[in-house]
This record gives sequence, structure tokens and C-alpha cells, in this order.
Amino acid sequence: MSRNSVEWEETPNFPSTHYVDTGIYTDEKIFREEQEKVFNKVWIIACHESELTNAFDYRTFSHPGGAPLFVIRGEDMKVRSFYNICPHRGNTLLYDPVGNAKRVTCIFHAWSFNAKGDCIDISREKQGYQERYGCEKAGLREVKTEIGYGGFVWVNVDDDSCSLSEYVGDAMGLLGEHLSEPMEVFHYHKAVVNTNYKLWHDTNSEFYHDYVHYFNRITGMIQPGYFDRKYTGYPHGHASVGSMAIKYDAYEGSKQRGVGWPGLAPGGWVLIDMFPGMTYNLRTSVLRMDTAIPLGPNKLLIEFRGLGLKSDTPEQRAERIRDHNQIWGPFGRNLHEDLLAVQGQGQAMRERTGSKWVIQGREENMTIHDEGGMRHFYAEWSKLMGRKASAPYADQATAAA
Amino acid sequence: MKSRQSIEELIYKSCLVMDDKDFGGYLDLCDPAFHYAITTYSPEIRKEMIWLEHDREGMKTLFATLPKHNSDQSPLSRHATVYLIEEQDEGRKAKVTSALQVFKTSLDGGATELFVVGKMIDMVQMTAEGPKLLDRNIRLETRMFGIGYHIPF
Repeated sequence: MSRNSVEWEETPNFPSTHYVDTGIYTDEKIFREEQEKVFNKVWIIACHESELTNAFDYRTFSHPGGAPLFVIRGEDMKVRSFYNICPHRGNTLLYDPVGNAKRVTCIFHAWSFNAKGDCIDISREKQGYQERYGCEKAGLREVKTEIGYGGFVWVNVDDDSCSLSEYVGDAMGLLGEHLSEPMEVFHYHKAVVNTNYKLWHDTNSEFYHDYVHYFNRITGMIQPGYFDRKYTGYPHGHASVGSMAIKYDAYEGSKQRGVGWPGLAPGGWVLIDMFPGMTYNLRTSVLRMDTAIPLGPNKLLIEFRGLGLKSDTPEQRAERIRDHNQIWGPFGRNLHEDLLAVQGQGQAMRERTGSKWVIQGREENMTIHDEGGMRHFYAEWSKLMGRKASAPYADQATAAA
Repeated sequence: MKSRQSIEELIYKSCLVMDDKDFGGYLDLCDPAFHYAITTYSPEIRKEMIWLEHDREGMKTLFATLPKHNSDQSPLSRHATVYLIEEQDEGRKAKVTSALQVFKTSLDGGATELFVVGKMIDMVQMTAEGPKLLDRNIRLETRMFGIGYHIPF
């Protein structure tokens, strides 16, 4: 039976943990608050260490909290991160996404910095500042940086944050043994999609949407073991999904994989969602990493990386690339479908469309079509935001209780 | 030059049939040894990348499975301009370099946007039945195109 306007807006008849108000996806104020209370407090993946092979290699990164950063490998081979902002007149220091800079010099007034963030030259310093100001006061703003969990470079703009290992906790348990060999990024692309970052992370946090993927239905959903995969939630909002044996040759033109991945059973698939918007996705012969960088409540930049092993032979690498492209490349069978779906959500949930609720009420003993992975995310989100995802405009003091 | 005209027509026809989703018509333009790739360079990881690669059979399978997938149905318009035709192998083959722009029109026909730009680097085999596509490399300049697409360019 269809519903009238009052019925459409009625609170869903589920526990408040099992639905969210779509205002959390569309409200500009909530988005700004998320940048401050979520993204500026947690560890975020900025890039992979293989993108910074040599001393002085750098990589720019738009931190989802808003700060432009650059990550640079020093002469001592340590990787550090800084605001990509000149302390003098606020100009951008490094423009290219990647490069090598023994000396980072602002194009505007030629102030220079080394890879440790020290100011090493102020043009005509003494003439202009005499003894009042100098390089010792003009260092770059450094951001906490750690490398880990597969060689990814993690950053945290909160000086008082916990360590990366405390943040990750046991969440990487299912992947730990598979990330022991040095890896290398062989695929990188970005997509800007008109949707909210949480909707993208939701898609990575539930498998009920396998209905959108012909590939996953034919190689997974109709195969034995599919409904046995389980979600596990971890502190800080992370979640993992256990493995099964995917039957890749059930898809026309596909085949069982030959190269595989160290420690991963043939056809295996492990997925770990790291709060608030990063996903390790290991299947076939490839580790995929998604990094969500929200640009606004309904605008999302996603960075997609495909990784193989540094020790790959050309033949092994070629097979990983083929495996990656079939489902995950910009022309892959699955990625396009996922993006099409979340773009459709963004389209339907714009402000004033009448969209009101998203239901996350499936309970199947935390197995593959249970929506517990999403509920786990929103429990953490509500805690950090001081707002209940189901009632974000209620009294905030009591909302997250 | 008759062969130049027939080569140009082959390139342009390959765009037209793909725009029309006439995949059988596209395969008819291809040599049995056809190889297709979409490639680009990533400055971010300083690496050449292959984003799609198939032989003729692989393309045929890709086309056959399209109806089973959920895809953006917004129509594409491929616009090619043949820049260079270089004879090779004593005239039995020709390397053709074309500029490529792909436009996407929204489902309601309300807006057309430039989707990608790049080059088409083709190797054409001259046969008794006329020129056939032996190798096509879609070399993309644009590396960000939103939700992507299921149908090759």
C-alpha cells in the first residue's frame, strides 16, 4: 500500500540504531561538523609508500578535514607530512600531485623549506625582518604521519590523537598475514560523484547490494558459502567481512585466477572497512584501497588504488591488472554499478527532495546480508558527532547517549 | 588516395557503430587478430596504466554480457578527427593517429558534457575486403570521468 505524506515521514518502526535520517547526508552544517569532529580527529590514508620511493619524493593530498597536505620522504628516508601552505602569505607550496623536491620553495616570495619542514631561507630576511623574525619561527605545520598496514601512509591532523595502532586495534586481523610482503600501487584513478561519503562507505559496508552486481550474483551469491560470510565490528567504527570461495569462472569470459595473493585461498575475498571512509578489499589477485574524501555534503572524491606485490614478474603484474580491470577499473563490471547506485542515492537525497529515512534494519545473525556493518559505523559516527544518526536534530547533549 | 579515404571511413564508422551500440557492426570492422586497449599515464603513481584490454573474442564477450549489468544508459557521442595516416609494411598496414572527444548526453537529453578527450592510435590491416582494425589503443588524456562507463570508447 502506498503512503501519504504523513506516513512517509513517520519514524520507522525499528530500534533507533536501525535507521538514519537522510539529513545527515545532505545538511551543510552537519558536513562542516563532520570535518571537525570526525575527519580532523581520526587517522586517514594519504597515499602508499610506493608512491614515495626516493628521498625527497612528495605527494600532495587533500585531507578530508579540509587542509591541503603534502607528504614527503626525507633524506633520512622518513616520511613526514605538512600543510601545503606557506606560513608567509598562505600560498600553495607544491602544485603538482607528485614530484621530487630537495628544497620546497614557495613561488610567491621564494621562502624555502626542507623535507623536515624547517624553514631554510627567507629571501632578504635581515633587510625586512631585522632580528624580529626569522626562519626559526617560520617552520611548516607538521601533521602526524605513520606508515603501516600494507605500507599505507596514514596521517592525523590532531596532535593529541591516539597512535595509529591504537586506532586500528584488531580490525586488520583478517588481513594481517596477507599484507606481509612489500606492495606497489599499479592502478590509480579518482572519481568525483555527487553523493555523500557515508553512502559510499555504506556500500562498502554491506553486501545486500550484491543484487546490483550481476558478476557478484553469478560468482558469489548463488555459490555455496556465500551466506556464511560474517561481519565483525571493532572499536572506532571499523568492520570486517570474512572470506568465501568465489567461483570466478561462472562469469562469461572470466576464469579461476592463477596468480592469487599470498595466504589468500583461491577465490578468497576479505574486506575491511576502516572508519570513516577507507576500505581494504582483497580478492582475485589484487588489493584495492578506496579512500573517500568528501568535498561537500553531496560531493565526494574517491581515490581508487589497485596494488600488487613489489616482487611481481611482468607476467604476474599483467594478470593482476587484468583481474583488477574486469571488476574494479573505470570500465570494470562492478565499480561502475556501485558508483551508479550511490550517485542515484545522492540524486534522490538532495535537500528538499522529500527523502527522509534510510533503513538499516536487516538482521541475519551478522551474516552477509545483515546490515550490522552500517549500524556499527553509525554508532561510532553518532558518538563522535554528539548526534544520533537517526535523530540528528534532537537535543545533542543526550543524542549520542 | 582511395586507401586514405577508406581508412578514414573505417575510423569514423567505428565511432558511429559504437555510438549506436551496434556491437556486431563494430566487430565486423575488426580483423580476427584485433586487440583493444584503453591506456593512460598516472602522474600520481608515475606509471603507465592499462584500464581495459581485450582481444576480439574478449570484446565480443564484453558486449554480450552488457545487458546483464546495470549501466549508465546516457548516450555517448564519439567524435574523431584523423590526424595522421602512416603506411607500414609496404602498404599492407597503416598506423592511424586520431584525436578523440567523447561527449555524454543526459538521459533526458537536457545536457551534453565533454566526457573524455584523448587519442586513438590504430593499426589498420589492409585486406581484400578493405581496411580492418588490427589494433586500437584509446590513449586517454582525461583520467576522471565520474562513475565510469561499461561500454568501451
